[in-house]
Amino acid sequence: MSSQVTLPRLGQGMETGTIVRWLKSEGESVEKGEALYELDTEKVTQEVEAEASGVLLKILAGEGEEIEVGKAIAVIGEQGEDVPEGEDVPEGEAEDPTEVSEDDAQEEGSPAPAREDERERGREEAPEGPSEPEQSVESTNGARIKASPLARRIARERGIELSALRGTGPDGRIVAEDVERASASGALSAAPAAAGRALSGEVEVVKLNQMRKTIARRMTEAWEAPAFQISMSVDMTASIRLREALLAQVKEGGVRPTYSDILTKVVALALMRHRDVNAHFAGDSVKLFPTANIGIAVAIPHGLVVPVIPGCEQLTIPEIAAARADIVSRTREGKLRAEDLDGGTFTISNLGMYGVERFTAVLNPPQAGILAVGAIEERAVVLDGDFEIQPRMDMTLTIDHRSVDGATASEFLATAKSFLEEPGLAL
Amino acid sequence: MAELSYREAVRDALSTAMRRDDDVFIMGEDIAEMGGSMGVTQGMLEEFGPERVRNTPISEMAIVGAGIGAAIAGMRPIVEIMYQDFTTLAMEQIVSQAAKHRYMSGGQIKVPLTIRTQGGAGWSPGAQHAQQLEAWFVHVPGLKVVFPSTPEDVRGLLWSSIYEDNPIVFFEHRTLYGIKGEVPDEIEPIEIGKARIHREGEDVTVVATGRLVHESLKAADQAAEEGISVEVFDPRTLQPLDEDALIASVKKTNRAVVAHEAVTRMGWGAEVAAVVQEKAFDYLDAPIARVGAKFTPIPFAPVMEEWVVPHAEDVLAAIKKTVGKE
Repeated sequence: MSSQVTLPRLGQGMETGTIVRWLKSEGESVEKGEALYELDTEKVTQEVEAEASGVLLKILAGEGEEIEVGKAIAVIGEQGEDVPEGEDVPEGEAEDPTEVSEDDAQEEGSPAPAREDERERGREEAPEGPSEPEQSVESTNGARIKASPLARRIARERGIELSALRGTGPDGRIVAEDVERASASGALSAAPAAAGRALSGEVEVVKLNQMRKTIARRMTEAWEAPAFQISMSVDMTASIRLREALLAQVKEGGVRPTYSDILTKVVALALMRHRDVNAHFAGDSVKLFPTANIGIAVAIPHGLVVPVIPGCEQLTIPEIAAARADIVSRTREGKLRAEDLDGGTFTISNLGMYGVERFTAVLNPPQAGILAVGAIEERAVVLDGDFEIQPRMDMTLTIDHRSVDGATASEFLATAKSFLEEPGLAL
Repeated sequence: MAELSYREAVRDALSTAMRRDDDVFIMGEDIAEMGGSMGVTQGMLEEFGPERVRNTPISEMAIVGAGIGAAIAGMRPIVEIMYQDFTTLAMEQIVSQAAKHRYMSGGQIKVPLTIRTQGGAGWSPGAQHAQQLEAWFVHVPGLKVVFPSTPEDVRGLLWSSIYEDNPIVFFEHRTLYGIKGEVPDEIEPIEIGKARIHREGEDVTVVATGRLVHESLKAADQAAEEGISVEVFDPRTLQPLDEDALIASVKKTNRAVVAHEAVTRMGWGAEVAAVVQEKAFDYLDAPIARVGAKFTPIPFAPVMEEWVVPHAEDVLAAIKKTVGKE
């Protein structure tokens, strides 16, 4: 008996996912628990394991395709077993671009008698253009594009980018018809000479990947929140001493704590004393969390993710350092799991290493607060009518005013500042 | 125009050549009084006498060997091997003698021999009398292989074969003997190595031989009802292959299906597919599909026989798959 592989829900709020890459090809055998494909969700790209053993009989969702949760993406069964017809995709077949039913084929992939009509139709549809954004993902992933030799030749001759086309042939193969339709529409013909003139100031159009889309959507959401910022400057003398003491204790091969790690611990403890800030704004209620799950903003090529270290108030600074090192390296290697991104109650964004003195961060909804941290630098400070040179660091707290007011925010930030200036106060 | 059956068309070519030319004669098992096991040579003994319509012992090697000798000596013999299954008994003579003498003698010797044989499934002759073995012969340099599918083609090509100075293996299909078709009043020779397009089309070229030409024409009718325009291409000569016409057709339709009754595996169709992809790769819009018999001896049981060898619906399925309307 064959079984269908459906797109799993890998985290709260996950509605769709994009198959980045199949790690098995049709006809290959798979063991239960073996990595089957790479999935790009709104939050993370991760390997997904097979839930059944057998032979990967058919791949129903191509690489680069955006799929709804619960839809069939592949069939696993026994060698030689027929893939049950009609069960390929249990529902919503018409939306599945790989599935060309007889009717669809007549509509879209019809052979030459209808070709003239197709061309006509292609022209009429020109304003929309035949390309779907998700199809282009295929080429950016470097996966082989399925196209017939004729389709390739026509595309080459007319300077059409195959990666922008949707194939209507068997298994989603791009056939001549598809290229001709695109050519007739004119929308996709990149000028053949474009490659050589890229430096002369032409606009480069980069399609949004899943992460970029998510960032764009969430930051726009964040902008709806009535937020305000407050800033404080911190004397880091004591924290620097603390870090030196911690470094002296690092064992061979251990992770060296950073100022960020100290900050994470300090902020977690401050949040426990000001639980209104350790909160989610949820429309008609505010959720206050019993533990500080701190999200750390991590830059990766062309994007940003915020993996979460849970329960920071209970961890020692070396434990936080180890957890941070693990999660950052997994972030950069693309090996984050969905749970690494779930459950954050507060976020810290540190741009100090870039030499940024101070900045304001945009909220990470539904969290009520985010702390933006700049560089530690020596500044002249006026003390008792005299100048003193101190290592200072600016912190700017962005707060969702719907759940937290200025006084509460200030008290929280003052607590964090006091812990950094006199770590003993956190005891 | 006259109407002849395929059988009558073969006989007409033989008799006309024998009337015209004393060097032409026929030899084979039971071809004289009996008129051949398929009735092709009926009446020829009466017209031409036992010197020119010669019954032979049941020895295929001797039949072909004697034919080669006569051909080298200046005659234009046509020998009949009752079933192509039996050509295996004459393989040495065909492959290592007939096909080699002209080459090995530096052109001093020529072998203008025509080896007629027939076969094919469709009437329960069983595994030893139903094979289609053309792939064995097209592989041999020095042989030309002809397989006509209509009365007009079989007459014109047999005529050209008789007057060809190289050995020809000439395949007829058992189930085609009864089909009728228009032929010119006078025999018009058909050039060996020239294909014929039975039906023009735009979407896919079906390269078909023998009985499968007729099955492919049926499939083309059915495909037309579904809006698929099929070109039915009959090479008529399997070796040499009319590559120019083949490539021109595929360049027009951008898709190809090869259909023959012989087993698909390692078959003549594989060579056609190879030639097409070599010479028209950038024109192909779909993988080349092959239609042929399953890789098994031909069963005796009619139902099983029908299941093993291809029919119009198999060609139609390949057409639809190739044009993406599966």
